[in-house]
Amino acid sequence: MNASTGEADVVLSRVRKSFGAVVAVDDVSLSIARGSIVSLLGPSGCGKTTTLRLVAGFERPDAGEVSIRGARVNDVPPYRRDFGMVFQSYALFPHLTVADNVGFGLRMRHVPREERRRLVAEALALVKLEGFADRQPRQLSGGQQQRVALARAIVFKPAVLLLDEPLGALDKMLREEMQVELRQLQQRLAITTVFVTHDQEEALTLSDRVAVMRGGRIEQVGAPREIYERPATEFVAGFLGASNFLDAEVAEPGRVRVGGAGFDVPGAAGVPGTRLRLAVRPERVVLSPDGGEGLEATLRDVIFRGSTVHFYLESAIGPLLAYRQNEDGGDRGLRPGQRVRCSWSPGSAVVVAPLGDATR
Amino acid sequence: MSARGRLFGWGILLVPLAVSVALFVGPLAQLFMISLREPSSTELYGTGWTLANYTQLAEDDFIARIVWRTMWTSFLVLGCALAIGYPVAWRIARMPPRKRSLVLLALLFPLMVSNVVRAYGWVAILGRRGVVNTTLQQAGVIDFPMALLFTPEAVVMGLLTILLPYMVISIANALATLDPRYEEAAASLGAGPIRSFIHVVFPLSAPGVASGALLVFLLTLSAYVTITLLGGPRSKLLVSLVYDSVVAFQWPQAAALAFVLLALALATCGLILAVLRPGRVQGGAR
Repeated sequence: MNASTGEADVVLSRVRKSFGAVVAVDDVSLSIARGSIVSLLGPSGCGKTTTLRLVAGFERPDAGEVSIRGARVNDVPPYRRDFGMVFQSYALFPHLTVADNVGFGLRMRHVPREERRRLVAEALALVKLEGFADRQPRQLSGGQQQRVALARAIVFKPAVLLLDEPLGALDKMLREEMQVELRQLQQRLAITTVFVTHDQEEALTLSDRVAVMRGGRIEQVGAPREIYERPATEFVAGFLGASNFLDAEVAEPGRVRVGGAGFDVPGAAGVPGTRLRLAVRPERVVLSPDGGEGLEATLRDVIFRGSTVHFYLESAIGPLLAYRQNEDGGDRGLRPGQRVRCSWSPGSAVVVAPLGDATR
Repeated sequence: MSARGRLFGWGILLVPLAVSVALFVGPLAQLFMISLREPSSTELYGTGWTLANYTQLAEDDFIARIVWRTMWTSFLVLGCALAIGYPVAWRIARMPPRKRSLVLLALLFPLMVSNVVRAYGWVAILGRRGVVNTTLQQAGVIDFPMALLFTPEAVVMGLLTILLPYMVISIANALATLDPRYEEAAASLGAGPIRSFIHVVFPLSAPGVASGALLVFLLTLSAYVTITLLGGPRSKLLVSLVYDSVVAFQWPQAAALAFVLLALALATCGLILAVLRPGRVQGGAR
């Protein structure tokens, strides 16, 4: 078992799960600290939902170990594990009122009626649904149903809260509003939370730590800023926002050559001539007039996006993308067809593992 | 819906509505009139009006016994169909879709045999010289044939073999379309298999249970061939009395009995719906 379980509420160690010939979760290890919120992020089919269902106990691992609060739960059925869950479809019981839905977990735990009523009212207040106790689920909007599902999952103060794409069914505006609310609620209750999402912005907004998954494996785990700024692999860099991927060659340790231009890259190691893959975020690419330092490129297109302006460039080593904050309402006189130089600060280029090799 | 759409909707309903009024509601109203006519020895019914056809039924102990037996038989069939049918349906609902449709088809297969043929099948099995009695006699278990036929048990057994598929198919469909997330949600909230069934699965299958129960109950009330062939003269039910009155040219009495039957059917349907409350599940939670 993982050594640092003292403060970890959920620990997965070397967990494996396959369905027939398909390996859904492949040797996943992850430790989730008490009170923290961790997201499993990845495209569909990456194993994130199966991983969540392994924690819940809806799936049994073929190998490895799942523990909650230090106890191995591989053979514990879901109803004896101490977790609350919000399903993507909410799965509110249609034959019960809002209050009976929220009180269901308390009733199963034999909490007396009066106590139950008080806790249900508290939970409904927490999700701002006072006065909805006697409604039927079908009388509520999607956002309200989402809140009821959340209240139902937290009212009995479980050790772990599991969220399966909880905001996926909401429209964009409501989703952003609920992201902030969910984050505040999670911090206020300090409840250990695991959530699954395919939305990178949602993962960055909500998480203490993000586990990026691909092909059943965890590609990288880290704080949102770390994952975004220092992606370990080309996949992670590409899945979390846009990135320019450049083939480079080590000139000397800490310095590379890209398409005829030289750049300082602190992480560039190896003997001269070693080939590397670099990731550079578009917002870090600085454009300057032709003739100076940097990579030569031709401006192909300028797209005005409101708060940002996107520049599409063509260089000797392929297309490049640069973002600029719209600070002056214009495009700084840059016109398609113009020759420019692209550069970036030394810390902005990250050496990543190419997409070819799966993980690590 | 637009006014045009609504008009179209009513247009579709118009033909079946007209047929239903002409061939069912109309005759039913006439039947009700007949039930209020005086009996006549020369015509099918007399010209005077009377409530006697109903009051006579109310005062007749024999009728009361038959009504009681009819209700008892119907509820017994219903109870057995539910008790046997629900677990079977539950099992079928968990099968993969292809296998499930094959099994449901197999369940329907016996319904392709006529009720008369099937009832005679039971006669051949349960009769004095039927399979059961001769086998037991030859084996020396019994000395004289037992009276298996013409008993209430034979009627219940005969009706069950016909009506069980209706119950199983109704419930299996309801369970198969139940979102498995509901059970997972119940488990996440601490409900084990039994409490998950009591509080979530059974209430959510109520629409299927209700339609199955209504079918079984109504088909039991209106069954004639099976109860006549398997119940004989001593296990008559209400339907048999209606038939007897008709062939005895007691039309006003037959009509009154028919309405007693209808009233019982309506009351019981109301009871089934009130207990199962299928309406509260419909509409879903999405």
